[in-house]
Amino acid sequence: MGKGVKGMARETLLTLAILSALLGTVIVAQITGEGFVITLATKVAIFALAGVGLNLALGYGGLVSFGHAAFFGIGGYVTGILASHAGAGTAVTTLPFALMGSNEMLGIWPMAMLAAGAAALLIGALSLRTSGVYFIMVTLAFAQMLFYFAISWPRYGGEDGLSFYVRNSFPGLNTLVPVQYFAICMALLVLALILSAALVRSRFGLALQAARQNEQRAAAVGIRPYALRLVAFVISGMITGLAGSLYADLNRFVSPAMMSWHMSGEIMVFVILGGVGRLAGPVAGAAVFILLEHLLGGVSEYWKALLGLLLLAIVLFAPGGLIGLVLRRDRHV
Amino acid sequence: MVLFIEQALNGLQYGMMLFLMAAGLTLVFGVMGLINLAHGSLYMVGAFACAWVAAATGSFFLGLVASLVAAAVAGALVEVVVIRRLYHRDHLDQVLATFALILVFSEGTRWLFGSFPLYLTLPPVLSGAVMLPGGLQYPLFRLAIIGIGAVVALGLFFLINRTRLGIRIRAGEADREMIAALGVNIERLYTIVFALGAALAGLAGALVGTIQSVQVGMGEPVLILAFVVIIIGGIGSIKGALIGALLVGMTDVLGKALLPGLFARVMVGSDAATVGSALASMLIYILMALVLLVRPQGLYGQRG
Amino acid sequence: MSDAVLRLSHLRKSFGSLVATDDVSLDLRRGEVHALIGPNGAGKSTLIKQITGELRQDAGTIAFEGERIDSLDTAARARRGLARSFQVSSVIPAFTVLQNVMLAVLGAGGGVYRFLRPALRAPGLTEPARFHAEQVGLADRLTTRAAALSHGERRRLELAMALALRPRALLLDEPMAGLGLEGARHLTTLLSDLRHQAPILLVEHDMDAVFALADRISVLVYGRIIATGTVAEIRANAEVRRSYLGEGA
Repeated sequence: MGKGVKGMARETLLTLAILSALLGTVIVAQITGEGFVITLATKVAIFALAGVGLNLALGYGGLVSFGHAAFFGIGGYVTGILASHAGAGTAVTTLPFALMGSNEMLGIWPMAMLAAGAAALLIGALSLRTSGVYFIMVTLAFAQMLFYFAISWPRYGGEDGLSFYVRNSFPGLNTLVPVQYFAICMALLVLALILSAALVRSRFGLALQAARQNEQRAAAVGIRPYALRLVAFVISGMITGLAGSLYADLNRFVSPAMMSWHMSGEIMVFVILGGVGRLAGPVAGAAVFILLEHLLGGVSEYWKALLGLLLLAIVLFAPGGLIGLVLRRDRHV
Repeated sequence: MVLFIEQALNGLQYGMMLFLMAAGLTLVFGVMGLINLAHGSLYMVGAFACAWVAAATGSFFLGLVASLVAAAVAGALVEVVVIRRLYHRDHLDQVLATFALILVFSEGTRWLFGSFPLYLTLPPVLSGAVMLPGGLQYPLFRLAIIGIGAVVALGLFFLINRTRLGIRIRAGEADREMIAALGVNIERLYTIVFALGAALAGLAGALVGTIQSVQVGMGEPVLILAFVVIIIGGIGSIKGALIGALLVGMTDVLGKALLPGLFARVMVGSDAATVGSALASMLIYILMALVLLVRPQGLYGQRG
Repeated sequence: MSDAVLRLSHLRKSFGSLVATDDVSLDLRRGEVHALIGPNGAGKSTLIKQITGELRQDAGTIAFEGERIDSLDTAARARRGLARSFQVSSVIPAFTVLQNVMLAVLGAGGGVYRFLRPALRAPGLTEPARFHAEQVGLADRLTTRAAALSHGERRRLELAMALALRPRALLLDEPMAGLGLEGARHLTTLLSDLRHQAPILLVEHDMDAVFALADRISVLVYGRIIATGTVAEIRANAEVRRSYLGEGA
């Protein structure tokens, strides 16, 4: 919002270029038969999706949530729980109504998003009573609460996590074929990008960004930031929850680690590495993160120290993230 | 009853530990307006320094001194090299940079000391148990931790309220430009405050490392608990940190000790104990949520 | 009086031992420019903040169009048509002029929760926004970012945002501040016409503008209103001359 028409077009082009690069990588890998690369690319698409979710709250709403792993994990657990009950042929619960397991992605996704959205509504309603440093700590703490809950709740694996043996299914596709599963993840990522591009330009997006930049001004023209931010936080949590569902299916395994604060930090890193409030920021960020993990991981088992130094360099010297570097503009509006 | 007293003492000890962590964090928040995720790394540095020096010299007490020194030095170094550049940045940059510092610290420590936990042995003076009134045997070292926490709390209150450094710190919380105008070297003040907070975190790490074990990543769960303490107590308030830490410590320990049994008594079925223990693990966060509902700025917070 | 659009009755606000607003009663009538003057630190901004709802008074009441608005928050008061400009220009720097005014149109009309359609393609927003931007003479700056505007243009943008709220009353906090002679004259003409659209409570230091515009003047000193009256009455008031206009008695 607010960028000149030319700037917007350039960012759209860059978004398309980044997505094409991801797609191109997979096509080449499919031809040369490198299944491992396809899995990596799938991971990029999923993490990018999680980041697109966070970017809505963080980049456009200015809500520095350090608790998005909670929504990622909830999406994952809903998927794992439904799939494991479907595998065993048992009901998840019979009260207040009978809920059977499911191994249909089209049924699982809405459930995952609903659950993540409900959690975001609760956590957001409380956290948004605070701001600034408090907000960061409160979201972090609530995510940690769910993390400990997942650890201490033995029915679905507790600390060990929960495996399910068959990837959930999607009509007309064989989800176990890597490239087909990638296609699903990629399609959802593109949908989420289109959705967030629309959101940002909508009335809602206009008001949300105004509230971020000048809360007093927004209130003076009759706009209440609290409700606006809560809605953004819920949508954000739902998208990240969907990513969690896809991640669970990718690994056919969920564990409390999906909710750990490291995960929250990483989702945030995807966004910031790419460029806060840039449409394709999370995609670029996730791609670079996975690439670094892969390359540096080969150099040293202590690769995360190198990652840390790189992040430090970006914060100190390139605060606009990668996209900011490419577009050579100030940090997004 | 004896069990209850024992658990209450454990809660007190745990609370004092959290206070050592939270005090430094809350000072740094209050004075510099900085959120420092790497505070847990300084806790870890203290623990490793203690373990290493104690093993090399055979003296646990030298180890404790080393934990203070090493964490303070590491803190000052980090402040000068990285943190100083972040004061004028937004919280997002602070979060990312200090998150990056955690990665560097954790992996660096793993590279130096390996992934296996280290253990500390208590000197004879501090080991063993004491008999408390009522026939309760309680570990001397845990009592010592409670004592150290109390001494640090008193020392901090004295420092903040009675010394020149304290006056500057309070002035810094109120108005940053003012203390610069008073001719205080603000850069040095910040480094000192940061190093002081780091030293307390390092001490906490060494003490907890002695009870449990010393390993990479040990600081992070404690860091998040310290955040909860600060949210409850209110940013920038040492008193809030103390009250918050004791509340969190007590709630957590007593909840985990009592809730599973309580649920087993009132609920039928095999799930009762697991419901109780799952709930107990969430108790302090529920406490935090309640405080947020009633007083979003924390019990002793200034903003309202 | 039945034609009071905004009525403050016995407002009181203190910060610790400092009484910032001391039993202030004031009304703003239909069709008038009511200037609020007083030395720095007299509590003018504190009073404005109580009217907008950024601060809550300790005692006293505020009525707007006959209804008590004490329990409403800032956003709700704004939606009722209590529009303001800020002492220090407060706009959304990264938004264009058009987007800034659209924001005000959006706030006034509700409808914030529309997620998909681009706001820039909603004539319900853009048309009124264009109209109000033209009203203040910013027609040729619609696509300029607010950050790139001159000081005077930014003041006019603020006014356009206030007008876009379809105001029933305008609270203008030092709108002339920092404007050159030409700019101040321009704004004076504009405000003079606006009083019939919505009465204006004008906080201003520029006495030329005050005397040119005001129908009535209230003088605030140390949190108290020491006089209210027409321009002539205030000019003639000995206490005002002593304590504010700075003339020796």
